Amino acid sequence: MAGTTVSGGSRATLEPPEPRDPSLHSRPRPLRVRLRPWLLLAAPLVVIGALLIYPIVRVAYLSFHRYGLKEVISGHPVFTGLDNYREVLGGSYLWKTVLPNTVVFAAFAVVGTIVLGTLVALLLQRVGPAVRAAIIASALLAWALPAVTGTYVWVWIFDPDSGVVRKMLQGVGLLGPEGFNWFTERLSFYAIATLNVIHHGYPFIAITIFAGLTTVPAELHEAAKIDGANAWQRFWQITVPMMRPVFAVVTILSTIWDFKVFAQVYLMPGGSGSNPDVFNLGVWSYVESINRNQYGLGASIAVLLTLVLLVITVVYLRALFREDEIS
Amino acid sequence: MSAPREDRPTLRPARRSQQARASRRRKRVYGPGTILAVVGILAFTLFPIYFMLTTAFSARASSGTDNLIPRHLTFRHFTEAMSSGFSHYLVNSAFVTIAVVVISCLLALLGAVAMARFRFRMRTTMLVLVLVVQMLPAEALVIPLFLQMKDLRMLNSLIGLTIVYIAFALPFAIWNLRGFVAAVPVELEEAAYLDGCSWFRMFRSVLLPLVTPGLIATSAFSFVMAWEEFTFAMTFLSEDSKMTVGIGLKQFFGAHVNDWGGLMAASTMVTIPVMVVFVLAQRKLAAGLVAGAVK
Repeated sequence: MAGTTVSGGSRATLEPPEPRDPSLHSRPRPLRVRLRPWLLLAAPLVVIGALLIYPIVRVAYLSFHRYGLKEVISGHPVFTGLDNYREVLGGSYLWKTVLPNTVVFAAFAVVGTIVLGTLVALLLQRVGPAVRAAIIASALLAWALPAVTGTYVWVWIFDPDSGVVRKMLQGVGLLGPEGFNWFTERLSFYAIATLNVIHHGYPFIAITIFAGLTTVPAELHEAAKIDGANAWQRFWQITVPMMRPVFAVVTILSTIWDFKVFAQVYLMPGGSGSNPDVFNLGVWSYVESINRNQYGLGASIAVLLTLVLLVITVVYLRALFREDEIS
Repeated sequence: MSAPREDRPTLRPARRSQQARASRRRKRVYGPGTILAVVGILAFTLFPIYFMLTTAFSARASSGTDNLIPRHLTFRHFTEAMSSGFSHYLVNSAFVTIAVVVISCLLALLGAVAMARFRFRMRTTMLVLVLVVQMLPAEALVIPLFLQMKDLRMLNSLIGLTIVYIAFALPFAIWNLRGFVAAVPVELEEAAYLDGCSWFRMFRSVLLPLVTPGLIATSAFSFVMAWEEFTFAMTFLSEDSKMTVGIGLKQFFGAHVNDWGGLMAASTMVTIPVMVVFVLAQRKLAAGLVAGAVK
């Protein structure tokens, strides 16, 4: 009894600063204090563990099994070793269609987003406050346009029957009366998807880079100007090296986002299953598993996508930790 | 000439800024290249939004070109969309979104305080974990989560969808809030302790008010994620009465004819709340992103 009152009394006066006071570190801290961060972390970790970590483990497990409708009903996946991976990696469909769709699209989308974002950021620096506010406001609107509705708008703009692009091209005589279905051709399909993704993605890049540009000291530019450097040289010799961390982070983030683009492809005509020419890794995995009930095969494609993203993430973490802020 | 120059030193700050402003204004006679760039970027950025709005309000929405400058305006598409069940989807989405925002912010705050304020073993591991799980693609997680929810009979349940969204919002929310919590000087907390506050009193009276901007930014991101999510909504929800807006928009696609006016009116209604949130949270959003992404 007496012991509890003493410890109760000491808690009120001594304990709160204890976890932060370095002078007290030599003394072993009571378990209750050491557990405090874990008490705070418990609920978030349970949610992350149950709904993100456990499922990703289960996907890896399923990828080595046959798990179709029959197995779902019986509840027992059939172990098939590497069969799913053999099927995915062995055929030409992955190498000739899905992988180019994923990688080439991501490359164009990332480069397009970064280049446009940088150009807009530089433009924002040149113009006055009123024009700047107008551009930032419109960029925020484009950013806020949900991916789903944005995709529908682009589909409507390029609608093969009565879309505005068809009508305008016919109006100036560039397109015959028979029209053209942009969504059946892989190249034009992905050109529209790229347009959509750049439109949605560049505002974040532009605003981030613009914020970064303000940290580059003006003196550097003035000194270079006196030395006779033109704007092009100043951009590559001053802005890019000074902003390397910002560029690294936005490039890697865009790469991750553009590799796992799903709704923007799935919602375009043919993207939900009827036109296998336009699948990317995510859509292919979804169509095989959810639409065709081949959960094992879909899981193996999902694992491949996850591995690709994991590699990019490791690069991202290195870029981030080099900044030495997380300590 | 000489008199003003003599009194310049005393008036310098005002004069200088005035002069600088004047010279800047003089410089700001834009060249044709700059004007073209401004017009081009505004047109590219705003055209899809403009086209969505004009189609939504146009009486002859089904013809693409008529929507460029609509001559006959109507509210018909909005009222028809609402009466055909879209209002129901909006209510479902609002329920899911509010639940996700409140719960994910609460959980993220706990996690962020733990990560920013305590030194413990495996802290770096936890930070890396929070970063890495953000990269997991929804397309990979949708397979096991779909099977899981099927086993638990939680398909077509808004609660099931809410739980999944909370998990998806949480890693970024923790990461984002961590920066805001770390930015609060420890001295303020220590001052509170010296005044005799307990940890929870300090948390409520010192830390919480100071991280409110961070909570706003985090809420905005969770809001947008939950409001417009598509993949899980499509996979989990098949009953019409349970659909959220992300999947509900699909109802406007017919087998042969698409109801573009209705689709764009509904899209407008989906977009407006997101834009309101973006405008309200604008500053904090950018600050949080830069802090979270770069620093």
